[in-house]
Amino acid sequence: MAGDVVNGRFPRRRLFQVVAANLARLLFGGAARSWARNIGSTAPALCSMALLLLMSGLVGLTAFTLRNVEQVQASQASLLHVYLRDDASGVDVSALFERLRTDPRVAGVAYVTKEDALARAQTIPGLPQLAQATDSNPFPASLDVQVKNIDDMGAIDALVRDESVVDPEQPTSYDRGAYQRLQAVLFGVAVAGLAFLGLLGFVAVTVTMNSVKSAIHARRDEITIMQLVGASRWMVRGPFVVEGAITGGLSGSLAGLATFGLAAAAVALGSESFAQFAPGVTVTVAAVAGALVVVAGLALGSGSSLLTLRRHMES
Amino acid sequence: MSRAYGSRVAVDDVDLTLHPGELTFLVGPSGAGKTTLLRLINREIRPTSGEVSVAGIPAHAIKASRVAELRRLVGVVFQDYKLLPRLTAVENVAFGLQVADLRVSDEEATDRALDALEAVGLGDRGKSFPGQLSGGQQQRVAIARAVVAQPPVLIADEPTGNLDQDTAWEIMDLFEDIAAWGTAVLVATHNVDIVTRLQRRVVTLVQGRLVRDQPAGQTGRMAWLATS
Repeated sequence: MAGDVVNGRFPRRRLFQVVAANLARLLFGGAARSWARNIGSTAPALCSMALLLLMSGLVGLTAFTLRNVEQVQASQASLLHVYLRDDASGVDVSALFERLRTDPRVAGVAYVTKEDALARAQTIPGLPQLAQATDSNPFPASLDVQVKNIDDMGAIDALVRDESVVDPEQPTSYDRGAYQRLQAVLFGVAVAGLAFLGLLGFVAVTVTMNSVKSAIHARRDEITIMQLVGASRWMVRGPFVVEGAITGGLSGSLAGLATFGLAAAAVALGSESFAQFAPGVTVTVAAVAGALVVVAGLALGSGSSLLTLRRHMES
Repeated sequence: MSRAYGSRVAVDDVDLTLHPGELTFLVGPSGAGKTTLLRLINREIRPTSGEVSVAGIPAHAIKASRVAELRRLVGVVFQDYKLLPRLTAVENVAFGLQVADLRVSDEEATDRALDALEAVGLGDRGKSFPGQLSGGQQQRVAIARAVVAQPPVLIADEPTGNLDQDTAWEIMDLFEDIAAWGTAVLVATHNVDIVTRLQRRVVTLVQGRLVRDQPAGQTGRMAWLATS
Protein backbone atom coordinates (compact mmCIF):
# COMPACT_ATOMS: atom_id res chain seq x y z
CA MET A 1 0.00 0.00 0.00
CA ALA A 2 1.38 3.34 -1.01
CA GLY A 3 1.90 5.68 1.89
CA ASP A 4 1.36 9.44 1.94
CA VAL A 5 4.38 11.55 1.05
CA VAL A 6 5.03 14.05 3.79
CA ASN A 7 5.92 17.42 2.34
CA GLY A 8 8.98 18.99 3.98
CA ARG A 9 7.69 22.54 3.79
CA PHE A 10 5.83 22.56 7.05
CA PRO A 11 8.74 21.43 9.25
CA ARG A 12 11.01 23.98 7.55
CA ARG A 13 8.47 26.71 8.11
CA ARG A 14 8.03 25.52 11.69
CA LEU A 15 11.81 25.59 12.18
CA PHE A 16 11.94 29.12 10.84
CA GLN A 17 9.16 30.14 13.24
CA VAL A 18 10.96 28.54 16.17
CA VAL A 19 14.28 30.22 15.36
CA ALA A 20 12.55 33.57 14.82
CA ALA A 21 10.65 33.25 18.10
CA ASN A 22 13.80 32.30 20.01
CA LEU A 23 15.72 35.15 18.40
CA ALA A 24 12.98 37.61 19.24
CA ARG A 25 12.81 36.46 22.84
CA LEU A 26 16.49 35.92 23.59
CA LEU A 27 17.94 38.74 21.52
CA PHE A 28 15.34 41.51 21.44
CA GLY A 29 13.18 40.52 24.40
CA GLY A 30 16.23 40.01 26.59
CA ALA A 31 17.66 43.33 25.49
CA ALA A 32 14.40 45.17 26.09
CA ARG A 33 13.99 43.62 29.56
CA SER A 34 17.55 44.42 30.48
CA TRP A 35 17.19 47.95 29.13
CA ALA A 36 14.06 48.52 31.19
CA ARG A 37 15.69 46.99 34.28
CA ASN A 38 18.74 49.26 33.91
CA ILE A 39 16.73 52.38 33.10
CA GLY A 40 18.21 54.12 36.13
CA SER A 41 21.73 53.86 34.81
CA THR A 42 20.67 54.25 31.18
CA ALA A 43 18.59 57.43 31.59
CA PRO A 44 21.55 59.81 32.07
CA ALA A 45 23.27 58.28 29.06
CA LEU A 46 20.06 58.59 27.04
CA CYS A 47 19.65 62.27 27.94
CA SER A 48 23.32 63.05 27.29
CA MET A 49 23.17 61.31 23.94
CA ALA A 50 19.95 63.08 22.99
CA LEU A 51 21.51 66.44 23.82
CA LEU A 52 24.69 65.63 21.95
CA LEU A 53 22.77 64.36 18.94
CA LEU A 54 20.59 67.47 18.94
CA MET A 55 23.69 69.65 18.96
CA SER A 56 25.17 67.52 16.20
CA GLY A 57 21.99 67.91 14.17
CA LEU A 58 22.02 71.68 14.57
CA VAL A 59 25.73 71.85 13.74
CA GLY A 60 25.00 69.74 10.66
CA LEU A 61 22.20 72.04 9.56
CA THR A 62 24.43 75.06 10.14
CA ALA A 63 27.12 73.45 8.00
CA PHE A 64 24.53 72.80 5.30
CA THR A 65 23.44 76.43 5.44
CA LEU A 66 27.00 77.74 5.27
CA ARG A 67 27.74 75.46 2.34
CA ASN A 68 24.75 76.91 0.51
CA VAL A 69 25.90 80.45 1.30
CA GLU A 70 29.38 79.62 0.06
CA GLN A 71 28.03 78.09 -3.17
CA VAL A 72 25.82 81.09 -3.85
CA GLN A 73 28.66 83.46 -3.13
CA ALA A 74 31.07 81.47 -5.29
CA SER A 75 28.71 81.60 -8.26
CA GLN A 76 28.08 85.28 -7.71
CA ALA A 77 31.65 86.26 -7.01
CA SER A 78 32.56 86.62 -10.66
CA LEU A 79 29.18 88.11 -11.60
CA LEU A 80 29.02 91.90 -11.45
CA HIS A 81 25.61 93.54 -11.37
CA VAL A 82 25.83 97.02 -12.92
CA TYR A 83 22.68 98.82 -11.72
CA LEU A 84 21.13 101.23 -14.21
CA ARG A 85 19.31 104.49 -13.56
CA ASP A 86 15.58 104.25 -14.10
CA ASP A 87 15.77 107.18 -16.56
CA ALA A 88 18.73 105.83 -18.55
CA SER A 89 18.19 105.98 -22.31
CA GLY A 90 18.16 102.80 -24.34
CA VAL A 91 20.89 104.07 -26.65
CA ASP A 92 23.28 104.78 -23.80
CA VAL A 93 22.55 101.43 -22.20
CA SER A 94 23.18 99.68 -25.52
CA ALA A 95 26.48 101.53 -25.92
CA LEU A 96 27.65 100.43 -22.48
CA PHE A 97 26.39 96.90 -23.18
CA GLU A 98 28.44 96.76 -26.35
CA ARG A 99 31.58 98.12 -24.70
CA LEU A 100 31.39 95.50 -21.99
CA ARG A 101 30.57 92.69 -24.42
CA THR A 102 33.66 93.42 -26.49
CA ASP A 103 35.95 93.77 -23.46
CA PRO A 104 38.41 90.81 -23.52
CA ARG A 105 38.10 90.43 -19.71
CA VAL A 106 34.38 89.85 -19.94
CA ALA A 107 32.87 86.40 -20.62
CA GLY A 108 29.32 87.63 -21.23
CA VAL A 109 26.82 90.39 -20.57
CA ALA A 110 23.07 90.11 -20.00
CA TYR A 111 20.52 92.89 -19.76
CA VAL A 112 18.07 92.43 -16.88
CA THR A 113 14.94 94.57 -16.96
CA LYS A 114 13.21 95.89 -13.85
CA GLU A 115 10.51 93.26 -14.37
CA ASP A 116 13.11 90.48 -14.64
CA ALA A 117 14.78 91.78 -11.47
CA LEU A 118 11.45 91.68 -9.66
CA ALA A 119 10.70 88.18 -10.94
CA ARG A 120 14.13 87.00 -9.80
CA ALA A 121 13.64 88.57 -6.36
CA GLN A 122 10.38 86.73 -5.99
CA THR A 123 12.25 83.41 -6.15
CA ILE A 124 14.37 84.36 -3.15
CA PRO A 125 12.84 83.37 0.23
CA GLY A 126 11.60 86.37 2.16
CA LEU A 127 11.75 88.79 -0.75
CA PRO A 128 8.34 88.07 -2.35
CA GLN A 129 6.57 89.51 0.69
CA LEU A 130 8.95 92.48 0.63
CA ALA A 131 8.31 93.04 -3.05
CA GLN A 132 4.55 92.89 -2.53
CA ALA A 133 4.78 95.28 0.41
CA THR A 134 5.32 98.27 -1.91
CA ASP A 135 3.20 99.47 -4.78
CA SER A 136 6.10 100.22 -7.12
CA ASN A 137 8.85 97.88 -8.32
CA PRO A 138 11.89 98.68 -6.13
CA PHE A 139 14.36 96.61 -8.14
CA PRO A 140 16.52 98.42 -10.78
CA ALA A 141 17.34 97.17 -14.25
CA SER A 142 20.95 96.00 -14.57
CA LEU A 143 23.66 94.68 -16.82
CA ASP A 144 24.88 91.38 -15.41
CA VAL A 145 28.54 91.09 -16.36
CA GLN A 146 30.21 87.69 -16.08
CA VAL A 147 33.92 88.40 -15.61
CA LYS A 148 36.43 85.77 -16.77
CA ASN A 149 38.91 86.29 -13.95
CA ILE A 150 37.70 87.23 -10.50
CA ASP A 151 40.81 89.46 -10.11
CA ASP A 152 39.49 91.76 -12.89
CA MET A 153 36.28 92.53 -10.98
CA GLY A 154 37.77 95.75 -9.52
CA ALA A 155 38.89 97.02 -12.94
CA ILE A 156 35.51 96.35 -14.54
CA ASP A 157 33.79 98.05 -11.60
CA ALA A 158 36.04 101.11 -12.01
CA LEU A 159 35.28 101.14 -15.73
CA VAL A 160 31.52 101.34 -15.33
CA ARG A 161 30.72 103.02 -12.01
CA ASP A 162 31.09 106.63 -13.36
CA GLU A 163 29.05 106.03 -16.48
CA SER A 164 26.04 108.31 -16.85
CA VAL A 165 23.60 105.40 -17.25
CA VAL A 166 24.73 103.79 -13.99
CA ASP A 167 22.84 104.43 -10.75
CA PRO A 168 25.02 106.86 -8.79
CA GLU A 169 23.56 105.73 -5.43
CA GLN A 170 24.54 102.08 -5.82
CA PRO A 171 26.49 101.68 -9.07
CA THR A 172 27.46 97.97 -8.84
CA SER A 173 27.36 94.90 -6.60
CA TYR A 174 31.14 94.88 -6.30
CA ASP A 175 32.51 94.51 -2.76
CA ARG A 176 36.27 94.29 -2.70
CA GLY A 177 37.44 91.10 -0.90
CA ALA A 178 33.96 90.16 0.25
CA TYR A 179 34.14 86.70 -1.22
CA GLN A 180 37.64 86.06 0.12
CA ARG A 181 36.58 87.23 3.57
CA LEU A 182 33.55 85.01 3.45
CA GLN A 183 35.67 82.04 2.38
CA ALA A 184 38.07 82.63 5.26
CA VAL A 185 35.22 82.89 7.74
CA LEU A 186 33.51 79.77 6.37
CA PHE A 187 36.75 77.81 6.50
CA GLY A 188 37.22 78.80 10.13
CA VAL A 189 33.63 77.90 10.95
CA ALA A 190 33.95 74.55 9.15
CA VAL A 191 37.12 73.65 11.06
CA ALA A 192 35.53 74.68 14.36
CA GLY A 193 32.35 72.78 13.47
CA LEU A 194 34.24 69.61 12.62
CA ALA A 195 36.26 69.84 15.84
CA PHE A 196 33.06 70.40 17.81
CA LEU A 197 31.36 67.44 16.09
CA GLY A 198 34.38 65.27 16.83
CA LEU A 199 34.25 66.28 20.48
CA LEU A 200 30.51 65.62 20.64
CA GLY A 201 31.02 62.23 19.01
CA PHE A 202 33.75 61.32 21.48
CA VAL A 203 31.61 62.33 24.46
CA ALA A 204 28.57 60.46 23.09
CA VAL A 205 30.58 57.28 22.47
CA THR A 206 32.13 57.48 25.95
CA VAL A 207 28.76 58.01 27.63
CA THR A 208 27.20 55.09 25.74
CA MET A 209 30.16 52.83 26.41
CA ASN A 210 29.86 53.49 30.13
CA SER A 211 26.15 52.71 30.00
CA VAL A 212 26.77 49.42 28.19
CA LYS A 213 29.64 48.60 30.56
CA SER A 214 27.28 48.90 33.53
CA ALA A 215 24.74 46.70 31.69
CA ILE A 216 27.43 44.07 31.12
CA HIS A 217 28.36 44.27 34.79
CA ALA A 218 24.73 43.86 35.85
CA ARG A 219 24.34 40.79 33.66
CA ARG A 220 27.74 39.19 34.19
CA ASP A 221 26.26 35.97 35.65
CA GLU A 222 23.92 35.59 32.72
CA ILE A 223 26.79 36.22 30.31
CA THR A 224 28.97 33.64 32.06
CA ILE A 225 26.19 31.06 31.92
CA MET A 226 25.43 31.78 28.28
CA GLN A 227 29.10 31.41 27.39
CA LEU A 228 29.46 28.18 29.35
CA VAL A 229 26.40 26.49 27.90
CA GLY A 230 27.69 27.14 24.41
CA ALA A 231 25.83 30.24 23.27
CA SER A 232 27.50 31.64 20.17
CA ARG A 233 29.37 34.93 20.46
CA TRP A 234 26.74 36.91 18.60
CA MET A 235 24.06 35.36 20.83
CA VAL A 236 25.92 36.63 23.89
CA ARG A 237 26.78 40.02 22.42
CA GLY A 238 23.62 40.58 20.40
CA PRO A 239 21.38 41.69 23.28
CA PHE A 240 23.90 44.34 24.32
CA VAL A 241 24.10 45.68 20.78
CA VAL A 242 20.31 45.77 20.65
CA GLU A 243 20.29 47.45 24.07
CA GLY A 244 22.73 50.08 22.79
CA ALA A 245 20.60 50.51 19.68
CA ILE A 246 17.50 51.05 21.84
CA THR A 247 19.27 53.75 23.84
CA GLY A 248 20.71 55.29 20.68
CA GLY A 249 17.42 55.03 18.80
CA LEU A 250 15.44 56.68 21.57
CA SER A 251 18.06 59.42 21.98
CA GLY A 252 18.13 59.87 18.22
CA SER A 253 14.35 60.06 18.03
CA LEU A 254 14.19 62.72 20.73
CA ALA A 255 17.04 64.68 19.16
CA GLY A 256 15.68 64.16 15.64
CA LEU A 257 12.27 65.53 16.60
CA ALA A 258 13.87 68.50 18.32
CA THR A 259 16.15 69.14 15.33
CA PHE A 260 13.19 69.00 12.95
CA GLY A 261 11.09 71.20 15.20
CA LEU A 262 13.76 73.87 15.61
CA ALA A 263 14.66 73.88 11.91
CA ALA A 264 11.02 74.02 10.81
CA ALA A 265 10.39 76.85 13.29
CA ALA A 266 13.37 78.75 11.88
CA VAL A 267 12.05 78.31 8.35
CA ALA A 268 8.59 79.53 9.38
CA LEU A 269 10.02 82.44 11.38
CA GLY A 270 12.27 83.45 8.48
CA SER A 271 9.35 83.38 6.10
CA GLU A 272 7.30 85.62 8.39
CA SER A 273 10.03 88.16 9.05
CA PHE A 274 11.22 88.67 5.43
CA ALA A 275 14.60 87.27 6.47
CA GLN A 276 16.26 83.97 5.71
CA PHE A 277 17.89 82.47 8.80
CA ALA A 278 19.12 79.35 7.04
CA PRO A 279 19.48 79.58 3.24
CA GLY A 280 18.61 76.28 1.57
CA VAL A 281 16.93 74.85 4.68
CA THR A 282 13.35 73.88 3.91
CA VAL A 283 10.85 71.73 5.81
CA THR A 284 12.00 68.75 3.72
CA VAL A 285 15.63 69.41 4.58
CA ALA A 286 14.66 69.69 8.25
CA ALA A 287 12.85 66.33 8.05
CA VAL A 288 15.85 64.70 6.39
CA ALA A 289 18.13 66.17 9.08
CA GLY A 290 15.84 64.78 11.78
CA ALA A 291 15.86 61.33 10.16
CA LEU A 292 19.65 61.42 9.86
CA VAL A 293 19.91 62.25 13.56
CA VAL A 294 17.76 59.18 14.37
CA VAL A 295 19.99 56.98 12.19
CA ALA A 296 23.08 58.51 13.79
CA GLY A 297 21.64 57.69 17.22
CA LEU A 298 21.04 54.06 16.24
CA ALA A 299 24.52 53.73 14.77
CA LEU A 300 26.12 55.47 17.73
CA GLY A 301 24.30 53.31 20.28
CA SER A 302 24.93 49.96 18.61
CA GLY A 303 28.46 50.88 17.49
CA SER A 304 29.47 52.02 20.97
CA SER A 305 28.05 48.79 22.39
CA LEU A 306 30.10 46.71 19.99
CA LEU A 307 33.19 48.68 20.93
CA THR A 308 32.51 48.14 24.64
CA LEU A 309 31.88 44.43 24.15
CA ARG A 310 35.19 44.01 22.37
CA ARG A 311 36.93 45.64 25.29
CA HIS A 312 35.05 44.23 28.25
CA MET A 313 33.81 40.83 27.25
CA GLU A 314 36.06 37.86 26.64
CA SER A 315 35.13 35.39 23.95
CA MET B 1 49.34 20.04 28.28
CA SER B 2 50.80 22.93 30.27
CA ARG B 3 49.49 26.30 31.31
CA ALA B 4 51.52 29.10 32.84
CA TYR B 5 50.51 32.49 34.19
CA GLY B 6 53.64 34.55 33.73
CA SER B 7 56.41 32.68 35.47
CA ARG B 8 54.00 30.58 37.56
CA VAL B 9 53.12 27.21 36.06
CA ALA B 10 49.54 26.24 37.00
CA VAL B 11 49.36 23.02 35.00
CA ASP B 12 52.66 21.35 34.22
CA ASP B 13 52.87 18.78 31.46
CA VAL B 14 49.68 16.92 32.44
CA ASP B 15 48.72 13.95 30.26
CA LEU B 16 45.15 12.85 31.00
CA THR B 17 42.48 10.97 29.07
CA LEU B 18 38.85 10.79 30.21
CA HIS B 19 36.80 7.82 29.10
CA PRO B 20 33.06 7.67 28.32
CA GLY B 21 31.07 6.27 31.21
CA GLU B 22 33.84 6.92 33.71
CA LEU B 23 33.54 9.04 36.85
CA THR B 24 36.93 10.55 37.68
CA PHE B 25 37.83 12.59 40.73
CA LEU B 26 40.38 15.36 40.40
CA VAL B 27 41.99 15.98 43.75
CA GLY B 28 44.86 17.99 45.13
CA PRO B 29 45.62 20.79 47.55
CA SER B 30 44.44 24.33 46.94
CA GLY B 31 46.40 25.91 44.11
CA ALA B 32 47.30 22.53 42.65
CA GLY B 33 45.83 23.51 39.27
CA LYS B 34 42.49 21.66 39.39
CA THR B 35 40.38 24.61 38.30
CA THR B 36 42.91 25.55 35.63
CA LEU B 37 42.70 22.03 34.23
CA LEU B 38 38.90 22.24 34.07
CA ARG B 39 39.09 25.63 32.37
CA LEU B 40 41.47 24.19 29.81
CA ILE B 41 38.99 21.42 29.00
CA ASN B 42 36.16 23.94 28.59
CA ARG B 43 38.40 26.23 26.53
CA GLU B 44 37.98 29.14 28.90
CA ILE B 45 41.75 29.37 28.54
CA ARG B 46 44.25 27.95 26.07
CA PRO B 47 47.20 25.79 27.09
CA THR B 48 50.59 27.48 26.95
CA SER B 49 51.84 24.31 25.29
CA GLY B 50 50.42 20.93 24.45
CA GLU B 51 47.01 19.83 23.20
CA VAL B 52 43.47 19.51 24.58
CA SER B 53 40.98 17.46 22.59
CA VAL B 54 37.27 17.17 23.43
CA ALA B 55 35.31 14.59 21.44
CA GLY B 56 37.72 15.08 18.56
CA ILE B 57 37.68 18.88 18.62
CA PRO B 58 41.13 20.40 19.26
CA ALA B 59 40.26 22.86 22.05
CA HIS B 60 43.79 24.27 22.05
CA ALA B 61 43.65 25.27 18.42
CA ILE B 62 40.09 26.24 17.56
CA LYS B 63 39.20 29.81 16.72
CA ALA B 64 37.15 31.92 19.11
CA SER B 65 34.20 31.63 16.74
CA ARG B 66 34.13 27.83 17.31
CA VAL B 67 34.44 27.88 21.09
CA ALA B 68 30.65 27.78 21.50
CA GLU B 69 30.55 24.59 19.44
CA LEU B 70 33.07 22.97 21.79
CA ARG B 71 31.29 24.13 24.92
CA ARG B 72 28.11 22.42 23.82
CA LEU B 73 30.06 19.20 24.26
CA VAL B 74 31.08 20.01 27.83
CA GLY B 75 28.56 20.35 30.65
CA VAL B 76 29.81 22.49 33.53
CA VAL B 77 28.78 22.49 37.20
CA PHE B 78 30.07 25.10 39.66
CA GLN B 79 30.35 25.28 43.41
CA ASP B 80 28.06 28.35 43.46
CA TYR B 81 25.49 26.83 41.03
CA LYS B 82 25.34 29.93 38.79
CA LEU B 83 21.58 29.85 38.28
CA LEU B 84 19.71 32.87 37.00
CA PRO B 85 17.61 34.09 39.94
CA ARG B 86 14.86 35.59 37.75
CA LEU B 87 14.13 32.29 36.04
CA THR B 88 12.38 29.24 37.48
CA ALA B 89 14.17 25.90 37.69
CA VAL B 90 12.69 24.67 34.44
CA GLU B 91 13.41 27.99 32.72
CA ASN B 92 17.03 27.88 33.89
CA VAL B 93 17.47 24.45 32.33
CA ALA B 94 15.56 25.36 29.15
CA PHE B 95 17.51 28.62 28.82
CA GLY B 96 20.74 26.63 28.57
CA LEU B 97 19.22 24.55 25.81
CA GLN B 98 17.85 27.40 23.74
CA VAL B 99 20.73 29.85 23.85
CA ALA B 100 22.96 27.03 22.66
CA ASP B 101 20.58 25.96 19.92
CA LEU B 102 17.98 28.36 18.54
CA ARG B 103 16.21 25.51 16.73
CA VAL B 104 14.87 24.15 20.02
CA SER B 105 11.25 25.22 20.41
CA ASP B 106 9.74 26.34 23.71
CA GLU B 107 7.72 23.14 23.99
CA GLU B 108 10.70 20.91 23.30
CA ALA B 109 12.94 22.90 25.64
CA THR B 110 10.37 22.70 28.43
CA ASP B 111 9.83 18.96 27.91
CA ARG B 112 13.53 18.23 27.92
CA ALA B 113 14.12 20.51 30.90
CA LEU B 114 11.36 18.75 32.86
CA ASP B 115 12.87 15.38 31.94
CA ALA B 116 16.27 16.54 33.16
CA LEU B 117 14.79 17.87 36.39
CA GLU B 118 12.95 14.57 36.83
CA ALA B 119 16.24 12.74 36.38
CA VAL B 120 17.88 14.74 39.17
CA GLY B 121 14.87 14.25 41.44
CA LEU B 122 13.31 17.68 41.08
CA GLY B 123 10.42 16.90 38.79
CA ASP B 124 7.99 18.59 41.16
CA ARG B 125 10.04 21.79 41.67
CA GLY B 126 10.19 23.00 38.10
CA LYS B 127 8.25 26.17 38.82
CA SER B 128 10.34 27.13 41.83
CA PHE B 129 12.79 29.99 41.64
CA PRO B 130 16.38 29.36 42.81
CA GLY B 131 15.74 31.43 45.94
CA GLN B 132 12.99 29.01 46.92
CA LEU B 133 15.28 25.98 46.70
CA SER B 134 17.88 24.60 49.11
CA GLY B 135 21.57 24.54 48.16
CA GLY B 136 21.39 20.88 47.23
CA GLN B 137 18.30 21.44 45.11
CA GLN B 138 19.93 24.38 43.35
CA GLN B 139 22.94 22.22 42.59
CA ARG B 140 20.62 19.56 41.17
CA VAL B 141 19.09 22.20 38.88
CA ALA B 142 22.60 23.21 37.81
CA ILE B 143 23.42 19.58 37.06
CA ALA B 144 20.18 19.21 35.09
CA ARG B 145 21.18 22.28 33.06
CA ALA B 146 24.64 20.85 32.46
CA VAL B 147 23.38 17.49 31.17
CA VAL B 148 20.13 18.43 29.44
CA ALA B 149 21.89 18.70 26.08
CA GLN B 150 23.52 15.29 26.75
CA PRO B 151 27.14 16.42 26.38
CA PRO B 152 29.78 13.68 26.17
CA VAL B 153 31.82 15.37 28.93
CA LEU B 154 30.73 16.80 32.27
CA ILE B 155 33.13 18.76 34.46
CA ALA B 156 32.33 19.91 37.99
CA ASP B 157 34.41 22.28 40.09
CA GLU B 158 33.92 21.63 43.81
CA PRO B 159 30.21 20.84 43.29
CA THR B 160 29.71 19.83 46.93
CA GLY B 161 31.79 22.64 48.44
CA ASN B 162 28.71 24.52 49.70
CA LEU B 163 26.68 21.46 50.71
CA ASP B 164 26.38 19.35 53.86
CA GLN B 165 27.69 15.79 53.78
CA ASP B 166 24.33 14.08 53.21
CA THR B 167 23.46 16.39 50.31
CA ALA B 168 26.97 15.96 48.94
CA TRP B 169 26.40 12.21 48.79
CA GLU B 170 23.14 12.74 46.91
CA ILE B 171 24.94 14.90 44.36
CA MET B 172 27.68 12.29 43.98
CA ASP B 173 25.04 9.63 43.38
CA LEU B 174 23.78 11.81 40.55
CA PHE B 175 27.27 12.04 39.04
CA GLU B 176 27.53 8.26 39.20
CA ASP B 177 24.20 7.95 37.38
CA ILE B 178 25.32 10.45 34.73
CA ALA B 179 28.54 8.52 34.19
CA ALA B 180 26.52 5.33 33.92
CA TRP B 181 24.63 6.92 30.98
CA GLY B 182 27.96 7.04 29.12
CA THR B 183 29.19 10.54 29.97
CA ALA B 184 32.82 11.15 30.93
CA VAL B 185 32.53 12.91 34.30
CA LEU B 186 35.41 14.79 35.92
CA VAL B 187 34.78 16.13 39.43
CA ALA B 188 37.29 18.37 41.18
CA THR B 189 36.81 18.01 44.92
CA HIS B 190 38.35 18.34 48.34
CA ASN B 191 35.91 15.85 49.86
CA VAL B 192 38.23 13.03 50.91
CA ASP B 193 35.46 10.96 52.45
CA ILE B 194 33.50 10.77 49.21
CA VAL B 195 36.58 10.07 47.10
CA THR B 196 37.84 7.25 49.32
CA ARG B 197 34.46 5.59 49.80
CA LEU B 198 33.31 5.71 46.16
CA GLN B 199 36.46 3.96 44.94
CA ARG B 200 36.43 5.60 41.49
CA ARG B 201 39.36 6.71 39.36
CA VAL B 202 41.31 9.43 41.16
CA VAL B 203 43.72 11.83 39.47
CA THR B 204 45.95 13.75 41.84
CA LEU B 205 47.49 17.10 41.00
CA VAL B 206 50.19 18.69 43.12
CA GLN B 207 51.73 22.02 42.14
CA GLY B 208 50.34 21.61 38.64
CA ARG B 209 51.84 18.17 38.07
CA LEU B 210 49.85 14.95 37.76
CA VAL B 211 51.47 12.90 40.51
CA ARG B 212 49.12 9.92 40.60
CA ASP B 213 46.39 8.40 38.41
CA GLN B 214 44.70 5.67 40.45
CA PRO B 215 42.22 3.43 38.61
CA ALA B 216 38.78 2.73 40.06
CA GLY B 217 38.84 0.31 42.99
CA GLN B 218 42.44 1.06 43.85
CA THR B 219 41.98 4.32 45.68
CA GLY B 220 44.28 4.25 48.66
CA ARG B 221 45.55 7.08 50.78
CA MET B 222 45.20 10.43 49.06
CA ALA B 223 48.65 11.37 47.85
CA TRP B 224 47.88 15.08 47.98
CA LEU B 225 47.00 14.91 51.67
CA ALA B 226 50.64 14.32 52.43
CA THR B 227 51.66 17.51 50.68
CA SER B 228 48.83 19.86 51.66
